[in-house]
Amino acid sequence: MDGDDRKNPSVDVAEFLEFYLLDSREQIDRLGTGLLELEKEGQDVNLVNDLFRSAHSLKGASGTMGFLPIVALTHAAEDVLDRLRRGTMEVTPAVVDVLLEVTDRIRMMLTQVEQGQEIREEYEDLVGVMKGWSSGGSPTVRTEEGAEEAREGNFVPRDFFLEAGDRDKIKEAENKGYGIYQIDVTLVRDTLMKAVRAVVVMQRLEGIGTVLKVLPGIEEMETARDSRFWLLAVSAEPPEAIREEILGVSEVAEVALHSYPTLSVLSGEADFSQERGTESYDTYNNTPNSAPNVGVSRENVPIHTIRVDTARMDNLINMVGEMVITRTRLVQTGTDLKGHYPQEPMVSSLIETNVYLGRLMNDLQESVMRLRMVPIGTVFGRFPRLVRDLARKTKKEIELVLQGEDTELDKTVVEAIGDPLMHLIRNAVDHGLESPAERRAAGKRATGTVSLDAYHQGNHIAIVVADDGCGLPLEKIRLKAVAEGWAGTREALSEREIAQFIFRPGFSTADTVTDISGRGVGMDVVKKALNSLGGTIDIDTRDGQGTTFTIRLPLTLAIIQALLVEVGPEVYAIPLSSVLETLLVARRDMKTVGGRAMVQLRGNALPLIFLEEEFDIPKPEKPPEEVFVVVVGLGDKALGLVVDGLRGQQEIVIKSLGEVLGNLPGIAGATILGDGKVTLILDIGSLLQDVVVRR
Amino acid sequence: MAEEQLVTFRLGAEEFGMDIMRVQEIIRIPPITRVPKAPPHVEGVTNLRGNVIPIVNLRVRFGLAAAEETDLSRIIVLQVEQKVFGIRVDAVTEVLRLEAAAIEPPPPVAMGLDAQFVRGVGKVGERLLILLDLDQVVAGETKYEFSA
Repeated sequence: MDGDDRKNPSVDVAEFLEFYLLDSREQIDRLGTGLLELEKEGQDVNLVNDLFRSAHSLKGASGTMGFLPIVALTHAAEDVLDRLRRGTMEVTPAVVDVLLEVTDRIRMMLTQVEQGQEIREEYEDLVGVMKGWSSGGSPTVRTEEGAEEAREGNFVPRDFFLEAGDRDKIKEAENKGYGIYQIDVTLVRDTLMKAVRAVVVMQRLEGIGTVLKVLPGIEEMETARDSRFWLLAVSAEPPEAIREEILGVSEVAEVALHSYPTLSVLSGEADFSQERGTESYDTYNNTPNSAPNVGVSRENVPIHTIRVDTARMDNLINMVGEMVITRTRLVQTGTDLKGHYPQEPMVSSLIETNVYLGRLMNDLQESVMRLRMVPIGTVFGRFPRLVRDLARKTKKEIELVLQGEDTELDKTVVEAIGDPLMHLIRNAVDHGLESPAERRAAGKRATGTVSLDAYHQGNHIAIVVADDGCGLPLEKIRLKAVAEGWAGTREALSEREIAQFIFRPGFSTADTVTDISGRGVGMDVVKKALNSLGGTIDIDTRDGQGTTFTIRLPLTLAIIQALLVEVGPEVYAIPLSSVLETLLVARRDMKTVGGRAMVQLRGNALPLIFLEEEFDIPKPEKPPEEVFVVVVGLGDKALGLVVDGLRGQQEIVIKSLGEVLGNLPGIAGATILGDGKVTLILDIGSLLQDVVVRR
Repeated sequence: MAEEQLVTFRLGAEEFGMDIMRVQEIIRIPPITRVPKAPPHVEGVTNLRGNVIPIVNLRVRFGLAAAEETDLSRIIVLQVEQKVFGIRVDAVTEVLRLEAAAIEPPPPVAMGLDAQFVRGVGKVGERLLILLDLDQVVAGETKYEFSA
């Protein structure tokens, strides 16, 4: 039997597991995006066909691996998709909801599989819902409120997964002449603590009858997007009385009672289980055949890509990093030798070779770094779903516009940028965009727009998150800043300066904490996350027109060109990508304005930071008459760093300071120089941000 | 009978012991780069074969007076919960085995040292070893993260 095959130790499941997980996740992603498209496009046969194929291959693969819950879910989803394909069922938001829920559950199941756990995720409820549609005969068009189904004509007896004990109770009740009812209860939308309502309903029913089953399970009810649940109950009371009783519970919007077709379902129940039996049998038998079938059709397609474990790739990149360091040492040795033996031809040859090696290293490094570049679309991809769900929850109409998905940047950056972006989008939806009514009143389109754009800008990448909502409540922010003592009552602050206050830890003007953005994670965390990537964030807000957040990030994080500077006895590295120019400035040309040293640079006042003060470096006895100023900038902000000397530029490999010392203000990381000593890399993003906030 | 294998080291007049399983290696004092704005007991960072690791000064950590670096000064490189870091000690004395029975709970006032760092006191003949609770010694570092 195939079933035994699975347990056969000679079949090494682990070997295929990795591939299975990768492939399944891809299919799930494809299903997820496809479903959102389907919702937008409506009945599109090609699209449904694609979705059907994804579901099918997922089912096949999961069957081979023996993950029955996934098989059950995909099988039911496949049936629904098939009906959509044949046009016997309509695409409604409710159908898409359930199918999306299927993808969510499977994703969680895959995680459990990956972690080597048993699949604990519930799935029978969803399978039940989908089977309900498929076996309903007529296309079950569910409206949002589910009112239509509740009407007698469209009544679909649900599979309550009855056990033998329940069936006995039903038979007993039938003999006594009690009514057996399926009760559909619809709660007011967005009811909090749905499970509690369900329990209250059940308690009330216990007074006048017996509740046999409830769907979905109490725990799922809390997380379910649907605000409905179904009860199977027996009672001697007339239906109207039961209805009244349940309607007495607060937040219950609608109650529909149906006589449960006990006989047909009791026998039907036997059908159910039989069907399930054949199904699993079927799966084992089919999949070994169907999986290779998929493989055959793929065989003709030439392979353009291969999957590589990221750990292997990182290892490669690390080694290239070490080579870069070693080459720096070789160059150093060459230069030293040249000093000792200026006439020696072998030394010249060594230096020449070093130059050539350098060129090769540059190419190699660039190629390797390109391996790490991934399109930012991989992050953007998860936002349509997020925005859709948020729109549902907030009852706002939102259009998400994505641009520049092909813009490539370093894998590490892409991985780290997801959460900050998600936070910004949540904020934009929750605080930025107004409700359709408010928007209409303000003379705007009822549908709000949230846009996400990415593009290259010199050595950086810019990511823009914009909404056309109401803009930041600047006056409210100013008052909060004054209340917190961040600003004086009479202090004249520009709009931009006021907006910067939202990046302070502990900032919040939200009057009500919503479960969307009011989780206590503030903009300060977003800023910190971006700073730690060497990036900055800027706000541009217009009252009534919307808010734009512009994020600037370095393209890559691993190997960079840096300018080495001396401050007292210490050496620091400044990423060259943020260096605009270097100046030699006489001390007398520096002016102090508002407690901050400034220097005039082509008619503009350039704020200065004395690194020795910033970093508590002992000052020399006699300060030199002239100092070097390294002008650094990101976006349109600039700042001068006062240093004692410039050591020239070189390639450095960025190393993390580790957990113990991570997150130090002004320090982005460390690097190891040719002499083996550690040098710290300045975090220009956070230095700039500090100056702007402090000003 | 359970016994522990310890690396013992000297800090001023006291002798300390720590679990050998946590010790990755013992090195001479390398060039150390000071890290601005780091907690005071973090002396700086150093290059350990291509990895940047922090160096904790135990004297500062335990509130002892600073001491001159000598030929005997060493860095003990430790690995605690995936984190690698070095601690500077005045001298590494020996590696020894200690019966669990010879370990007593820390006295209320542990020789002028913050009692939280002390796991117990071990008796080796006439010598008293202060057994360090490494998790506590590191705990201060890990707490040095922004709580989001």
